[in-house]
Amino acid sequence: MNGVHDMGGMHGFGPVVPERNEPVFHAEWERRAFALTLAIGAWGRWNLDMSRFAREQMPPADYLGSGYYEKWLFGLEKLLVEHGFVTREEIERRVADLRAERRAQTQPEPAREAE
Amino acid sequence: MSHDDHAHGQGHDPAHDHEHGDESHPHNRPLSEVELRVKALESLLTEKGLVDPVALDELIDTYERKVGPQNGARVVARAWLDPEFKRRLLSDATGVLADMGLIGRQGEDMVVLENTPKVHNLVVCTLCSCYPWPVLGLPPVWYKSAPYRSRAVIDSRGVLREFGVDLPDDVEVRVWDSTAELRYLVLPERPPETEGLSEDELAALVTRDAMIGTAKVNTLARRDRSR
Amino acid sequence: MPGLLQAADVWKRVVWNRRAARLDDDVAPRFKPGDRVVARNVHPVGHTRLPRYVRSRQGVVDRDHGVFVFPDTHALGLGKKPQHVYSVRFAARELWGPAAPANDAVYVDLWDDYLDQA
Repeated sequence: MNGVHDMGGMHGFGPVVPERNEPVFHAEWERRAFALTLAIGAWGRWNLDMSRFAREQMPPADYLGSGYYEKWLFGLEKLLVEHGFVTREEIERRVADLRAERRAQTQPEPAREAE
Repeated sequence: MSHDDHAHGQGHDPAHDHEHGDESHPHNRPLSEVELRVKALESLLTEKGLVDPVALDELIDTYERKVGPQNGARVVARAWLDPEFKRRLLSDATGVLADMGLIGRQGEDMVVLENTPKVHNLVVCTLCSCYPWPVLGLPPVWYKSAPYRSRAVIDSRGVLREFGVDLPDDVEVRVWDSTAELRYLVLPERPPETEGLSEDELAALVTRDAMIGTAKVNTLARRDRSR
Repeated sequence: MPGLLQAADVWKRVVWNRRAARLDDDVAPRFKPGDRVVARNVHPVGHTRLPRYVRSRQGVVDRDHGVFVFPDTHALGLGKKPQHVYSVRFAARELWGPAAPANDAVYVDLWDDYLDQA
């Protein structure tokens, strides 16, 4: 597809800026996203070309504005749903549950009524 | 993990959570959307028996600590010292690297490109991020980012200048776009004044960037494992 | 052998995995090193590894890598369609015009189905 991923020769992205002492992963979620992708790939339900195509289908503005492992995450979710490993509803429900759970953990204790 | 430098490298990565090492992140910090999604996926897939978290840990540890550019550096050093090895490497990289246990995922079919005083090779993947994992580990952010992917093919000399490599006009720059499943490793030129160095000492000079083609090897640089 | 990935199998099934992109199929190449070729002006809506910057551009086959899975069909579940992949050398000026350095080139790995004789 003639997507924005096909970047050879494009202008406007600015200089290449290497990071000094760059770690392999910049956050724990990146590690997990990386490992999940490879581990699920081991089921052989889809091939590498399908994986690449899935990432290419990220909406262009999101593709250009997201980091590398966000692209992997997008592709992984798409393939998991397309191939019936999980449903979109299951994912969103679990995200919502985790968000609520996290919010409860991080909220300060409500002020107690004076006794 | 070293955090003495918080340069975020490739422009602003909106997903780049500024975690200060896992040991110190407070457990009651709100999670970002992407962190929630990854946790959600992992928990769902684990429950369904589709992933084993211990295997995930092993994958991470393997690619974070065990597979890396030190592998490629050994190959380069050996090629510098052994002309027959170098000859075989240039004609059948896959065979030679397989003998060294350096053929595998994202590096099943290898080609080694020799830099000379007249030819400078540079490797890119304009379409995504293809990179020879078994010999170099996982690619750095800059390699996977839009500036490099877009400019390496159209302004290779400008990119090289940004990396501090200034090539005269009579040197031929060859940029290799990894569009298929061939993976490319640059064999950089051996710097002068390295006579008498052992294979280990030579390997210590070879940076990851030199094996991508964005650096030359010099005797002054102590090898920074991330460059 | 597909199935749940276990920690003990990470090296064997992932790190050292030689996933069969390269195929044993005996398929005749359409080109050989030294041939002048032109990348096709095709615009598949599915997956392709033919970058836009080489379409309609002329190059020279530098080497024949052998027979591989064809990603355009493979990504859509339409089969492996084994065919030769070549490194094709494109002069920088051919791709980017007369302002590009005279001596430089871009090598792109291209499948048989992406190429025509020039």
